[in-house]
Amino acid sequence: MLRFRHQMQPRKLKVTPGANPQARINKLREIVTGLIRYERVEPLWYFADEARQYAERLLYLAIKNGDKHKETMELADYWLEEKDLVHKLFKVLVPRYKNYKTCYTDLHKLAVEYPGSGIPMGVLELRGNPWPPIIARQRDTKFILSNMLLTAAKQDFYNTKQQLKSDAATKRQQLIEKSDDMHTIRRTDDSSSVDPPAKTENLMMDR
Amino acid sequence: MGFKGLFESGQGFTMTDVEGKLVPERGRMDVEGAFTHVSSSQVNVAYKSTHVINYKRTRAEIGQALRKKPNYLHYDLVDKHRSSPLQKGTDNITVETDVKAPRDYRFIMPEFMPRPHFEYRDRVLEKLERRDMLRRRTVINIPEFYVGSIMAVTVSDPFAPNKKNRFLGICIDRGGHGLKAYFVLRNVVDGLGVEIFYQMYSPTLHSIEVIRLEKRLDDRLYYLRNCPLEHSTFSFDMEPIALPRGAQVPVNTLKLKLNPKPWDERWERQDLKGIEPIELTPKMIKGIQKVHNASATPWKKHDLMLHYRSKVNEEEEETIMAEVYKENQLLESMRKTSKATLKKKK
Repeated sequence: MLRFRHQMQPRKLKVTPGANPQARINKLREIVTGLIRYERVEPLWYFADEARQYAERLLYLAIKNGDKHKETMELADYWLEEKDLVHKLFKVLVPRYKNYKTCYTDLHKLAVEYPGSGIPMGVLELRGNPWPPIIARQRDTKFILSNMLLTAAKQDFYNTKQQLKSDAATKRQQLIEKSDDMHTIRRTDDSSSVDPPAKTENLMMDR
Repeated sequence: MGFKGLFESGQGFTMTDVEGKLVPERGRMDVEGAFTHVSSSQVNVAYKSTHVINYKRTRAEIGQALRKKPNYLHYDLVDKHRSSPLQKGTDNITVETDVKAPRDYRFIMPEFMPRPHFEYRDRVLEKLERRDMLRRRTVINIPEFYVGSIMAVTVSDPFAPNKKNRFLGICIDRGGHGLKAYFVLRNVVDGLGVEIFYQMYSPTLHSIEVIRLEKRLDDRLYYLRNCPLEHSTFSFDMEPIALPRGAQVPVNTLKLKLNPKPWDERWERQDLKGIEPIELTPKMIKGIQKVHNASATPWKKHDLMLHYRSKVNEEEEETIMAEVYKENQLLESMRKTSKATLKKKK
C-alpha cells in the first residue's frame, strides 16, 4: 500500500522519442535507477511524482518478499538498469526502511524559473540520505533575549488591560446597586400608582 | 436586544434582587391600555424583525459566510462527544487484529474482496455488504467450491409441486463482488443443455451442496457448450463424495475435444488449457496473430503501478480476510455447539 498521496490514474508523460508506454516506462526506469544510485534526483516534477510511485512500490516489495523471491528479483533486475544497485537495494535500503511506518521517499516542488519553460522541477530523494536537508530545520527563537522581552511586554500590557476591565465592572456594579435602592424607595412611597405601560413591541411578543 | 439593553431602556421593566442576583422582571400591564396602544399608533413596530443586517460587511466576510462547509465533523469535536459521560456503556469492543487468515482464504471466498476499481470503491458499503453476507451465511451453508466442481442447488419455486426446485450440474463460471456474487451451473436435461445463473446470496436459495469438489484447468468453462453433451451430463441422483480432511483440492486435467464449427466464441484465440489442440486453418492463424499483436505489451509484465491498481492492495486484503476469517470461526464454533446440544436432547 502506498503511504503517500498520489494520483489514482497513471499520467501520460510527454516522452520523446517514442511517446508510447514503453518509452514512458524507460524514462521512469532511468529516474528510479538514478534515485537508488544518488539518493537525490532533480527531474521535472511530473516525472518525479510518477517515478516516486514506482520506486516506493519496488522498495515495498523488496522489503516484503526479500531477496529470495524470484519475481521480486526479476522486477529489481528490470527497474535498476545498473546491476550493482540490486545489491544496494537488498543490502542497504531494505535494512534501512524495514521498520519505517511512513513512505520511503520525499518529493519537493521547486520554484518555477523565470524566464524559462514554466514547467516546475521537483526534487525526489530517499529518506535518510547523507545529503544536507532541503528544508532547513527551523531554529527555536523562543528564548532569544529580544523575543523574551517582547513576550514580557505583551504579558504586561494584557495584565493592565484586565485590571482596567475589572475596575470598570466594580464601578458599574455599584451604580446598579444604587439605582435599585432608588426604585425600591419609590415603590414603598406610592404603591397605588399604576406602572407605566410596557412597550408595544414586548406586548406583541406576549401575544 | 440583550440583557444590558433591557436594563438601559428601563421601560416596563424593574430589577429585583433574587438571592443576590439581578433578574429582570416584567412590569404589570393594563390590558385595555395595551390594546389601545396597538390600534392607535405603532402598528408597524410589531413587524419589526429582531435580525440585524450588517450592510457594512466586507467582501472577505461575505465570502467567509458563503464558504463551502465540510460534510464531516472535525476530530476534536467528535472526540469531545466520545469522551463525554453520556457515552458511558456504549464503548466498542476493541478489535483484535492479530488474527490472520490463511493465505489461500481469499480463493475459498473470493466474493468477500471488493471490486478493485477506485471509482467504484465505497468502504462503508463494502463493510455493510460483508456484514450482510456473513449474516446470510448463518442461515445457509455456502461451502467451498471452484469452477469445475459439481454442485446441487435447491431454490424455492412457487410453481413446483414441492415448492422447491433442485438442480445439479457442473460449475462453469463464478464471479461478482460482495452481495452480487454469482455462479453458473450447467447440465443436460432431456438432451438439451441447460445453464442456470444463481445469485449466491439470494434469499430464495434453500441449500448449496458440493457433490464433487475439484478444479479444472480453466477459469471459465463456457466451451462446454461446443463440446459433446456427454461431458456436461451429470445424473441428478449423484451422491456427494467427501474429500479426506486436510487434503488438497484435486485438479481434473481432462482435455476435451471441441465439436466442429460453428462455435459460440472463437475458442482458438483464447489460451484454453482444458481442450485438445485445434486444427488451425490459415484464417484462424491470422486471427490469432492479430489478437496477439494487439496485446503485445511487454512492459505490462514489469509495470508495478499497473499491477498495484488492478488489485486491492495487500494490507487491505489482509485486514478484510482476517475479519471474515474471524467471523467464520465464530460461526463454525456456534454450529458445533448447537449440534452437540441437539445430540444431547435426543
